Amino acid sequence: MTTNLTRLSMAVVALASVVLAAGVAVAGPLDHPGYVKSATCSACHGFAGASRSDTMPVLAGMDAAYIKKALQDYASGKRVSPEMEPFAKQALQLGVDDVAGYFASQKKAPTPVTADPAAVARGRTAAATCAGCHGADGKGDPSKQIPDLRGQPPGYLRNQMMLFKADRRSPGDANLKAIKTLMKTVPDQTFADLAAYYSSQR
Amino acid sequence: MRVTRRQFLRTSTAALGVGLLGGCAAAMQGDFMPKGGKRVVVVGGGWGGATAAKYLRLGDPSIEVVLLEPNKEFISCPFSNLVLSGVRTLPSLTISYDGLRAHGVKVLHAPAVAIEPEIQRVRVGEGFLQYDRLIVSPGVDFIFEQIDGAGQGERVVHAWKAGDQTVTLAHQLQSMPDGDVFVLTVPPVAFRCPPGPYERTSQIAWYLKTNKPKSKLIVLDANQNIVSKTGLFRAAWKAYPNIDYRASNKVTKVDFGERVVTTEFGDRVKFDVLNLIPPQRAGAIALRSGLGGDDQRWCPVDHVTYESTKARNIHVIGDATTGLPVPKSGNVANSMGKITAHAVTRLLAGKPPVPMPPGNTCYSWVSDREAIAVVNAYKIENNKVVQIEQKLTPAQSPQVAQNAVGWAQSIWHDMLG
Repeated sequence: MTTNLTRLSMAVVALASVVLAAGVAVAGPLDHPGYVKSATCSACHGFAGASRSDTMPVLAGMDAAYIKKALQDYASGKRVSPEMEPFAKQALQLGVDDVAGYFASQKKAPTPVTADPAAVARGRTAAATCAGCHGADGKGDPSKQIPDLRGQPPGYLRNQMMLFKADRRSPGDANLKAIKTLMKTVPDQTFADLAAYYSSQR
Repeated sequence: MRVTRRQFLRTSTAALGVGLLGGCAAAMQGDFMPKGGKRVVVVGGGWGGATAAKYLRLGDPSIEVVLLEPNKEFISCPFSNLVLSGVRTLPSLTISYDGLRAHGVKVLHAPAVAIEPEIQRVRVGEGFLQYDRLIVSPGVDFIFEQIDGAGQGERVVHAWKAGDQTVTLAHQLQSMPDGDVFVLTVPPVAFRCPPGPYERTSQIAWYLKTNKPKSKLIVLDANQNIVSKTGLFRAAWKAYPNIDYRASNKVTKVDFGERVVTTEFGDRVKFDVLNLIPPQRAGAIALRSGLGGDDQRWCPVDHVTYESTKARNIHVIGDATTGLPVPKSGNVANSMGKITAHAVTRLLAGKPPVPMPPGNTCYSWVSDREAIAVVNAYKIENNKVVQIEQKLTPAQSPQVAQNAVGWAQSIWHDMLG
């Protein structure tokens, strides 16, 4: 009986903790446990990862594993970025899972940068070649680390395609072999169209 | 006409009172906005203060946040060197405070006249505001008295606070005859924006090279070398033979009549256009209120909460601070604003503050289309800010410039959007 009561009270305490934790999570935008480890990021990536600029990727709603890998690659210098390397090291020291989890848990916020409708239309046609992995609309597949391209800023998407083509993003990464081979077949001027198309998708 | 202090306060109060808070502060006398619940007053709506005000409201909407900022609009210092070269316009760097109002921040376009730490009041106009916590983000003021002949700065064009001065200097540069000499003087550290004078050098040199090829730019630097991004600036300046850079040339005297500046070694340098960046210290309100350290120049703070080590319940952020291994940059002030807002929110709720490290990304434009950058990441160790790493871009490039534009769009929104 006592044991049962203890068990029951423990369960109640556990349940209360869950409710409390959930309560904390929805209490306010700064109450997420990952916020205090991610506050630096908003200077460039926008509050809660909702990037406002053409060149900084939207982190809000991005797959956690993808963010974690990106931070690890930036920190190790495999993915070269003088701007990101120190901050990736900071994120790793603070707790990369908390940082990635914070952004992944945010509501997706598509870029406010608008694309030229003609470029979107051209991009839609050109995107057929990407659909095999990213899906027709660019939704991707988190289970295969294929990122969701929808609503990312066009400048960011274009820059990444250029980096893939020149093999300057994570050289030697086996997972990126296919995309790099594909990007080499795409003329530079098409990148802007593809970027316009995916950035306009929701 | 002699104006008594009281008359002056009355007139300026009346002028400033117009349009504040939709009329509820028609006259700032006595306790003109009685405090109800928890209240934080923020002094200064620049990079630190604006960010702090916004993030206080995000952190706890039950906190009343009053921002004191005399300027009607925010004008960004970062990117303002591009106004001198004509690459950007001042309106493109000007942002309304309406975004903060939408977050529920009460923006009062009035200066803080004095702080009374013992009774937790800020004097504004002829009245006062009570606070539970005060965040002081006063920026810098100029030490004109260290330059003989500068007076109170009446004739000094520093353009070191973006606004009218920026437009004046741009006009002087752009209207000077080809062949004239532009002199830029750099104060000894510490000053706001360590790479700023060298970005400005690059912009002026680019402009002169492009538009006035017979003119030259003499840079009189009080420091022994370029203070920040040294190698990258040196590399960029290879494209500008019109720069005559003189290190260890501290300017101590100016004669506006003869158009001559004199260095501490007695060298006289003639100018046609002069951009004199004076030595700097924390904004006057902070030093007047006893927040200055032993040097009576900058304000020491706790590295986790940014609470002043000189006064309880008062936090100091941005360029005015000292003792942290961080540059006096807009990005750092933005970081401090976020961290302090979080700490203050916790403290007001009776919870311990959470250590949060700042960060810094700083871009400098070396031509009309290329930029360089330095990035600093930090950690908190034994309650002190410690640098993890500093990284520079390997070279100047248009890509870095594109990132600079993205950074500006983002961080302006992070502060004021």
